[in-house]
Amino acid sequence: MKNFSKIILAITIAAIAAWLLPWCYAFVTAKAYSSPFVLYSSLHGDFIITQRDNVVSRHDTNGNEFDENEVDSLLPTMYMRQLVADGRFPDSILGKHVEPQQIQMTNFNFRSTPRDVNYVNAGIYFLFESMPKRVDLEMPDDAFRFTDNRIEFLSMADNSINEAKSDMFTRMLKEKGFTFPPRKIATNPDPRKEYDNGALLIDASGQLFNLKCTAGRPYVKQIPLPDGIIPCEAYVTEFRNRAYLGFFSATDKSFYVIMSDGSIKKTGIKTFDPKTESAMIIGNMFDWTVKITRTDADEYYALRADDFSLIKELKINRPSSYVPGLSFTSPLNKYVIPHF
Amino acid sequence: MIKAIFFKEWIKTRWCFFIALVVTTGMAGYSILKINKLVSLKGAGHLWEVAVTRDALFIDMLEYVPLIVGIVLAVVQFAPEMQRKCLKLTLHLPCSQKRMIFSMLAAGLTLLLTCFIVNFGVLYACLPAIFPSQLVWRFTLSAFPWYLAGVASYLMASWIILEPTWKMRIVDITISIFVISIYFLAPAPEAYNSFLPYLTIYTFMLIVLSWISVSRFKSGKQD
Repeated sequence: MKNFSKIILAITIAAIAAWLLPWCYAFVTAKAYSSPFVLYSSLHGDFIITQRDNVVSRHDTNGNEFDENEVDSLLPTMYMRQLVADGRFPDSILGKHVEPQQIQMTNFNFRSTPRDVNYVNAGIYFLFESMPKRVDLEMPDDAFRFTDNRIEFLSMADNSINEAKSDMFTRMLKEKGFTFPPRKIATNPDPRKEYDNGALLIDASGQLFNLKCTAGRPYVKQIPLPDGIIPCEAYVTEFRNRAYLGFFSATDKSFYVIMSDGSIKKTGIKTFDPKTESAMIIGNMFDWTVKITRTDADEYYALRADDFSLIKELKINRPSSYVPGLSFTSPLNKYVIPHF
Repeated sequence: MIKAIFFKEWIKTRWCFFIALVVTTGMAGYSILKINKLVSLKGAGHLWEVAVTRDALFIDMLEYVPLIVGIVLAVVQFAPEMQRKCLKLTLHLPCSQKRMIFSMLAAGLTLLLTCFIVNFGVLYACLPAIFPSQLVWRFTLSAFPWYLAGVASYLMASWIILEPTWKMRIVDITISIFVISIYFLAPAPEAYNSFLPYLTIYTFMLIVLSWISVSRFKSGKQD
């Protein structure tokens, strides 16, 4: 018994040492690293890199330096407010007449991190009324969940199942070829959004569906996928330009845009694994700058805003701060599990 | 003899047990009352929304209660043994020393687990009236590591109190602080789900640590 007790104590001390010593080493030796701010300029035809170390430097990939005002002019969709305030906002950009309001309507930001994907979901979702009588969206008075063979709407006031609505939505999903239970359910439960694109569902057979509640009735649309493409993560987007239904990433690490009419377009992003990599998209009416944060480098892709084809790419290596050791938490997920 | 040991432990800890039972059940009940108050003020829908979109648990006030109860129970049960040198007498009784020490720990664990089971009973009796099964599971699974921390704190506090020298006690306290902190790392609800089975086994295995202290006590280690 004494030996067994000592083994348990030794394992405990070893685990604590393997956990804390690397953490202390990383804490003491950590060096500040500021990731540069990179945006593609369609006017310049190159990435503009803003590096903030001791001094701020702004340059392109060929090393041409710019001052602040020049960068404002090269990135008019990003610095639109500054250009308007200075009276420098151009009448047209790339031969196209533009108004500041147009820029505001078409600019968007999108962000996905592994922690948004790797966590235990509550299993309860909200489906807004997509055609509300009032201008502002309101939180619905019911929530939904999926069982192995149906969708169930739960009245939140008394925690009871709304059988009529559940049957109506289940029937519609089955009619449209949906296979229960879904692998993934993506919604945006933010009542401050301007409109509602419903939910994106990846069913048990790997098909992608859009589910909405329109005037209290179900609207289900299957999103046609190319052969061999199996979506693994879906994102509902409700940007102001209303051009897109959402995004999805596939098991082959490709990334697609779902247009508002339900058609899909493959982007020029080489690979993106939402479980291990972060993505940030800063989009405007001419181009998208996509940043994929991998373990050792940040990769930037400039995409055309109309067909999402690749214009240019850039890779910036990051200094590794990896220290081997035992850890219970991870920046890649919201789980507590020991891992090396 | 074992029956007598259990009775002795019951005599020592019964008041602490009743107070712990009232406090922990009261805290669980207060959490439920607070939830009901929120339902009457803002509606159940608001609570569902906050639970789903902002990872609210509504029973957060219970987080450190099992930890404190575990420590207090260990102090009430074992501190008098060490102070009045009763442990020496206990170890001289005509019964296996291991059986006696582990029976004492089992008696304390039984009382502690009774408290915790009553807590979970209160939560399971009241929460399903307001929340769907998914959220009730979410709340209770998220709270489970806190209760495991209660068991760990009881076993580690027993190990520390039974240790005969202060020098080693300080080492034991340092180790215990790091071990206990593992139960409170949760960055999100249900973060421990896949780790829980292993953590549960490890927690109950901590019972053997007390035997190290008792062995040192038997071998005459003292300040």
